[in-house]
Formats: sequence, structure tokens, C-alpha cells
Amino acid sequence: MERLGKRTLRATAAGVAATLAIAGCSGQDLEGGNEDNASGGQVTLKVAFWGDMGLDKLKAAYEKDHPNVKIVLNSGEYNAQHEDLQKKLVAGSGAPDISAIDEGFIVQFRSQADKFVNYLDKGGAEFESKYLPWKWKQSLSPDGKQIGLGTDVGGLAMCYRTDLFQKAGLPTDRDAVSKLWPNWDAFLNVGKQYVAKTGKKFVDSGTNMFNPVLAQQPVGFYNEQEQLQMEGGPKVAFDVSMKAIEADLSADLASFQPNWDQGFKKDQFAVLACPAWMLGHIQDTAPEQKGKWDIAAIPGGGGNWGGSWWTVPSQGKNVDAAVDFVKWMVQPEQQIEVFKTVGNLPSQPALYKDPAVLDYKKEFMSNAPTGQIFAATAENLQPQYLGKKNGPTRVAVENVITRVQQGGLKPEAAWAEAVKEAEKAAKS
Amino acid sequence: MTSHRYALRAPQDTPGSWKTYLGLAAIMAFSAFPVYWMFVIATSTDEAVTQMPPSVIPGNQLLVNLNEVFTLQDVYFTASLINSFITALTITVATLFFCSLAGFAFAKLRFRGRNALMVVVILTLTVPNQLGVVALYIVMGKLQWNGTLLAVIAPGLVSAFGVFYMRQFIAHAVPDELVESARIDGALTMRVYWNIVLPAIRPALAVLGLLTFVMAWNDFQWPLITLNGTEFPTSMVALSDLASGNYVIYRRVLAGAFVATVPLIVLLLIGGRQLVRGIMEGAVKS
Amino acid sequence: MSLTQLRPSAQHRAEPPRTPNKVKLWLYRFDTKTVPYALIAPFFLLFGVFGLFPIIFNGVVALRNWRLDDPTLTGWAGFGNFTKLLSDEDFWNALGNTFGIFLLSTVPQLLAALIVASVLNRRLRATTWWRIGVLLPYLTPVVASTLVFAVFFSRDYGMANWFLSLVGFGESDPLDWRAAKWSSWIAIATMVNWKWIGYNALLYLSAMQTIPKDVYEAAAVDGAGPWRQLWRITVPMIQPVVVFTVILSTIGGLQLFNEPMMFDENPQSASGGSDHQFQTIAQLIYKVGWKDLNLGYAAAMSWALFLIILIVAGVNALLTKRIGGDR
Repeated sequence: MERLGKRTLRATAAGVAATLAIAGCSGQDLEGGNEDNASGGQVTLKVAFWGDMGLDKLKAAYEKDHPNVKIVLNSGEYNAQHEDLQKKLVAGSGAPDISAIDEGFIVQFRSQADKFVNYLDKGGAEFESKYLPWKWKQSLSPDGKQIGLGTDVGGLAMCYRTDLFQKAGLPTDRDAVSKLWPNWDAFLNVGKQYVAKTGKKFVDSGTNMFNPVLAQQPVGFYNEQEQLQMEGGPKVAFDVSMKAIEADLSADLASFQPNWDQGFKKDQFAVLACPAWMLGHIQDTAPEQKGKWDIAAIPGGGGNWGGSWWTVPSQGKNVDAAVDFVKWMVQPEQQIEVFKTVGNLPSQPALYKDPAVLDYKKEFMSNAPTGQIFAATAENLQPQYLGKKNGPTRVAVENVITRVQQGGLKPEAAWAEAVKEAEKAAKS
Repeated sequence: MTSHRYALRAPQDTPGSWKTYLGLAAIMAFSAFPVYWMFVIATSTDEAVTQMPPSVIPGNQLLVNLNEVFTLQDVYFTASLINSFITALTITVATLFFCSLAGFAFAKLRFRGRNALMVVVILTLTVPNQLGVVALYIVMGKLQWNGTLLAVIAPGLVSAFGVFYMRQFIAHAVPDELVESARIDGALTMRVYWNIVLPAIRPALAVLGLLTFVMAWNDFQWPLITLNGTEFPTSMVALSDLASGNYVIYRRVLAGAFVATVPLIVLLLIGGRQLVRGIMEGAVKS
Repeated sequence: MSLTQLRPSAQHRAEPPRTPNKVKLWLYRFDTKTVPYALIAPFFLLFGVFGLFPIIFNGVVALRNWRLDDPTLTGWAGFGNFTKLLSDEDFWNALGNTFGIFLLSTVPQLLAALIVASVLNRRLRATTWWRIGVLLPYLTPVVASTLVFAVFFSRDYGMANWFLSLVGFGESDPLDWRAAKWSSWIAIATMVNWKWIGYNALLYLSAMQTIPKDVYEAAAVDGAGPWRQLWRITVPMIQPVVVFTVILSTIGGLQLFNEPMMFDENPQSASGGSDHQFQTIAQLIYKVGWKDLNLGYAAAMSWALFLIILIVAGVNALLTKRIGGDR
């Protein structure tokens, strides 16, 4: 008995030592993941982004052509990914090799251009002529460093459910639907008709009214002097969202959350403001609704919501390999591939003339010519300046709209509250 | 009519009536329902999750859902389970070893400052270590350990509670005479620990080990702070990722949650008896 | 078991070996003088570096500007972070939420635990299995169980709302549990209660079983039924354990983090609802530190939380003793 105990204990002690050793080793592995790359010629590139950027096929293709490169895709939550990048930039380590940055955060990061690879130092100047001028400019730091190569732009359109429209006695043809809502007031009226007829809600949420309307305004939350301008564009957009909520058009679902995804499947709303990148989300969330969606013009015309850049944090150990991969990703073939799989519209105007884009018909969206639709909005765009604190400010105002939807705040009192919260976010 | 007969006995001598068992059944249902329902959703389709009235019968989609969880590459679920095992096992083994050593010294050895040091241990018992997370993050940053498992393992290697618990147990379970006679035979301190103390405290090791493993496995706040956004999450951090991407699907999230719960259910089935005893003994002693 | 009762050990009476040779003597002295310190050293070293030092260093950080997004902004801030705290609406809101949820969880939790314990405190078949059963919630990871509750309390297809609709409430306009303070607090308190009732019940049960049997026999003569027995005899007799559980749940309840985090529709946001309806202090510390990237301010909040816990735990212990002592 005593013997056995001893042996067990000895084994346990050995276990301690072994586990500690393993822990120690794995700790080193975790940290030194890049070092053995350098020695063995094997390179691992970690790519951080959110949602679905259509990279799965690209990854496979690139790895096949470059056997020494392994690509690790990391898709996280939108806000969290940007916050995490900020944290790692300051910490000086731990950042991904390649990180997507959205329009809403690009100003914040371009003011820290020294923490990113300047593409102009890596032969990136040749790309300038290929991009929409405003897209190129947005990721350019004040002292002329280029931290990002553009992926997509978020030209706006309005997605709608043809089957639900039909049941409500509304037209289903995309041109006819576009004519229904030349402006947002008309759009709200269509919504009221729909709700009266079906007893269901029309839009998914007040925030998804606010965002596209705001995107159409000449000035957003901030002017170029970084001053908060709530009484301009934000007020217009806020009023539209309040009208929608007061008219009981909104299903009050927080976007990109599980209940929203369920809302798709349960037909809880009939329209969704959709920038090009939203198409990927719709088809991933509700694949069974293939052919039940179509795309019409956005009320009020034009506007850009979202769109991203690929950046390479300079702390990485394989920045050259990372830059090579990014340059490859923004080549026309790859951009077209992404456009076809998820719908993201490239930010290089030459591609808008490319038959692969121009003649493309999205089967999922009732064969809508998504290339034509989105390219038309992207080219005529007057981009909005988005301030350094644009991200947190948008979240703060969205929260106020959510509170109105949840019934905790009266619509009359909401605007004052929105201003207050936005000012707080601007100062944080 | 409350029967007077029963009242004459102490409650623990009173046999349970059918009402008692009914009450117990209700308590069990309350305890088990969330875990059971986790399993139901983990085995269901999207339709079943949103159906009204809610379904309470498991579906047949478990493998489908699990497959989605494990192949979702942004969440690193497989790796996270391995990480959780490495972390929890290392912490458990180290805690058992270090705390039994210190507990032995405090219970059976004489040295200058012993009582004062023991008071320090007791005092630190009451300080919630969560309060140091900000500074801990900075410390780990200086060590370059943030984002690695070391950052999670290192603070867990010892616990004041473990030392206290071990001291109490050793003081009772190991007779002084036994230590004394070994000493007279010329045994050195470590031999006494090895040959006499360790065999005697195996029950206490089991209890402390179980408690430590459960705590380490379930820990969330600190791992979230230091590991979030890396490829090396623990399973709790991976679960929070699973629940907050842009495509959050309940059946998938809860399939992941269920997988992360299974090891503890197994532990409860194997070690439940010891755990119950440990918790109940701890209560009387303190 | 009192702490001052450290028992003198036997080993100092052990005589040195009969034939003192130099090496052996040295070894003996080393073994009795130095080895004890070597045995406790790992604990104190590791605890010092990763437990104690951070708590002290936290105080230093709290007095400085320490931002992750702007490393140039450093230097002493004096009590700037603390004065900011006093006028910070978010902090006071979080404090209110923390206390609200704390009350909603602690009181029902301990009462329910008493009842569960008294049900378990009978002569039962398969005693141990019932006890193991009530321990299941304690073992279940909070992150996992909270996710289940998040589905349970969801607005559109949640089981909680289905139950409510059975009694005719909110059939057309289902309750959004996360929307209001009261409903979100109830939901979160339910999760906390679920997790801890069984654990506390076992603590009570073990105390109940140490009550001498003749106490009950004496009381039975006065005709005390089971219910009166519980309140009149059992509870006062196990009062020290009750105090202990009150302190434990104070320390735990005021640091509540996991449940409000995972209950949020977007767990990564740490905002505790659209109007911070259920944002707790621990959650706010996380948000200030790792989302607003203001570590100095987060450290100051940690200290404030620590003070609050000390005060509340002390007051609670006193109150519980007082209430029990009057009996």
C-alpha cells in the first residue's frame, strides 16, 4: 500500500516537472512562433478582419503557389478587432501580420502611421493610379505615408424581399421598387403600407436606418477639424430613424447579433440597407432564401457605408511576405474573385468596366447585376470625413437609438441624449 | 398535521417523506435544466431553436453543430480545449505540490517567523486577486508574456487557500509521533514529506485538486484580458469569441459551450463524492 | 479552528544523531534551519510576484496617467483619476447596478440555500448523489451557463417569454429582458442564484449536521414543527457559517463580471446593455482598461471597488451577527 502510494506520488512529481516543462515550451512556442519561420524559411501570416471577406479561396490558392507561406485567417467582431489592433500596436507585439481596418477607424490609425509599413517604401506607389482617388487618400497619413491598400467600398443600395413584397401587394421588380422611394419619406410611407397590410415589421432596426442616411450626408459626425457636428448630418439621419421607430416599422433587432440573424430566417423584416459587403452576410445567414432577395436603389441616392484597407503593422517579423500577400490580394483577379463570392465591391475603378464585374449577375439576389448597381454609386461618391473618434461615437449614438426601440427612452427626449452621449464619446 | 413523532428527532434522523423526495426532484430539475437545455440546443437545428413552444427534446444535429464549431477557424476551438487542459492541469499539479510543501512546513516544522508568515497567508486569503488585474497586465507586458499561456498559468501556480487548507489537514492527519520517530531514524525533512506526509494527505490532495482544476478551467476574466485576439485562447475565451463574431448562431455557440462543460461533468461523476466531502469539511473547519 | 492555535510540532525535540560527524551535523542544521524556508519559498515567491505585487503596484498605476493608446501621455496624475471617478456617471451607474444585482442575488440565494439544505438534511436514500446533484451548477462554467440563459431570456424566441405568455403576459409585445434595469437585473440575478444555491446549501448542510441532537429534542417538547424548527433552532445554531457565506457572496457578488459580460447581445462590447443597464463595476473596469485603453483610470476604479468590498463585507458581517445574535 505504502509502496503504491510512493510510486503514484513519484509519478505525480514527474508529472509536475513534465507539465511545467511543457507549459514553458509551449509558452515559448507561442511567443516565438515567428522565429522558427525565419530559420526554416516557413512563413506564417496571420490575417485579422471581421465578417466574411471572401478569403477562404484566396488563402488556398496563395498557399498552393507559395508552399512556404501559411496563412491563418482570424475573423472577429468588428469593434473588438480594431480595439485589439490598437492595443497590440501600443504594446509593440502581438499584432497580426496583416490587419483589415475599416473606414470608420482609418483616421485613428493613419495618425499612427509610424506603426505600420508604409506601402510607398515597398513599391506601392504604382497602386495610386489604380484606386478611386478618395479611397487612396483616406488611408494616407498627414505626412504622406500610405498605410493601407484598399479592399472594397460600401456603395449603398437597398435589399428587399421580393416574396414578402409580393404578399404585401407591392411591386417586386427592382426598377419599380426603386421608383417607390425616391427619398426617405417615401420609403417610410412604403413601410407604413407594408406594415398595415401584413402586420409585420418593415426594417430590421433604427440603427440600420441611421447609418445609411448618415453616410449620404456631406458631413458626418466630425468635420475635418475634428469637431463634433451633431446638428448637421447626424441630426438628419437620427430623425429618419426616429420616424421609422415611431411609425412602428422597426423589428428592433440589434444588427450582427444572433436575434438579427434569426430575424432573417423568420421574415421579421422585408428590407435591409445594404452596402455591397452586406450581401455576403445575407447569403451566409439565410442561404435558404436564395432568389427571394433583390436589390433596388437606396432612397436619397448614393452614399458609402464601410469598406476597408489591408494594413501591415511594422512590428511583424515577416512584413515583406505580408506586403507581398496584400499586393497579390488587391490584384484584379483576386478582387473579382472576392466580389463574386461575397459581393464586396472593389475600390479600383478599372474593375467597374471589367466584364467580369459589369456583367455579373448575383444568383442569390434574383440575378441582380450587382456590379453595375454598386459601381454606379461608388464612382459618383463624395466621401465623408470620418473623425478619429468616429467608431466610439457611432456606437454611442446607436445605443441611444436602441434605447428608444427598447422603450427606455422617449423619441422626443432621444436627440438631446444622443448629443450628450456623442460628446462623451468624443472626449473619451 | 405535522406529526409530532418526527419533531422528536433531529432532522438528520428523520426519514425523508414523499414530500422530501418531491422537493429533491424539483431541486435536481432546477440544477440540471440549464445544462440539459444546453445539450438540447446543441443537438438542434436553427428551426428548433426558434420554435414556439420551445423544444425540450434533443435533436440529431449534434455532429453537424460540433463539426461547425471545430472547423470555425477564427475561434481555434480545438486548440482552446488543449490550452485549457494544459493550463488547468499545470495549475492543479503545481498548486498541489507547492501548497502541500508549504502546508507541511507550517503544520509540522518549527522555524522563526512561522506564525507571522501564516498570518500573512490568512490575510491574503481575503484579498480578491481580481483587483490586481490592471497591474498584472502591465507586469505580464514587461515579461512579454501577454497573449501566451504563461500569463494565465503563472498567477495560478499557488493559492493562499491551498496553503491554508493543507496546513489544517496536515496538522490533523499526520500524527506528530510519526514525524518524530522518522526524525529519530535520521530521516531528513523532504523524506518525511515524501514518505509520511504525502501518503497521509491523499484525500485532501484530491479535494484541493478538484477545486483548483474547476476554478482554473472556468476562469474567464483574466484569460480574456490577456489572451483575447490571439490564436491561443482558453476554451472560455474561445466560447466568448464564438458568441460574439459577426455570425453568432445559438446552436453552434451552445454546442461549443456543451463541449467545454463535458470535462467538468465527467469530473463531477468521478470525483463528486470527494468534492462534496471537501466542501462540507471546509465549511466546518473555517 | 482558530488560527492562533498553531500546534508546536514534535520535531524540535528530536535529538541530534548520536555520533556527530561534521558533515552530518551540518546537514542536520541545514535541514532544520533552512529547509523549512525552502518549502514555503515557492509559495511566497510566486504569490509575491503575481499576487501581492500587482495589487500594490495597482496603487501606483492608479496615481499615474497610463494609457495604452497614447504611451506619450504618462507621468503622475496625483489623485486625478480618483477625482474623475467621483463625477463619473458611468461609475455611479455601474455601482448602482452592481448593488442591485447583488441584492437580488444574495438574499434569495441564501434563503433558497437554507431551504435546500434543510431538505437535504434528512435521512435519505442515495444521500451522496443528491448532494452531487446540487453541485452541478457550481461546476458548470459560468461562460457556458450564461450563454444558455442568454437564449432563455431572449426577446423573440426565449423560453422565459414563452412561460410568461402562458400566463397571458406579453403575448403580442414580448418582454425585452435586456432593455430595462429591473428585468436585466432579474435575469442576471437568476444566473447567479442558479450557480451558487447548491454550493451554499452544502455549506449549511454540513453546519446543520454538527448541531447536537438534544437541542432538537428539547425544542420538540415545546411543540416546534419542522418549519419553526428550521428558523428557531437550526438557523441560529449555524450562524457562523451564515456569516461566512454572506461574506463570500459579498466578495463574489461585488466583483460580478462573467454573467453581465456574456449576457450582453454583443459580449465583446462590455457595455452592459444599450444604456449600461446592467454594466457592473468589474465590467466597467474591463471596458475602461482594455477598450478605452485607460489603464490608470481602471486601476483607480479597482481600488475604489476594493474599498467598497471591504466596507460592505464588514457591514454585512456585523449585520448578520446582530440579527442572529438577537435570537
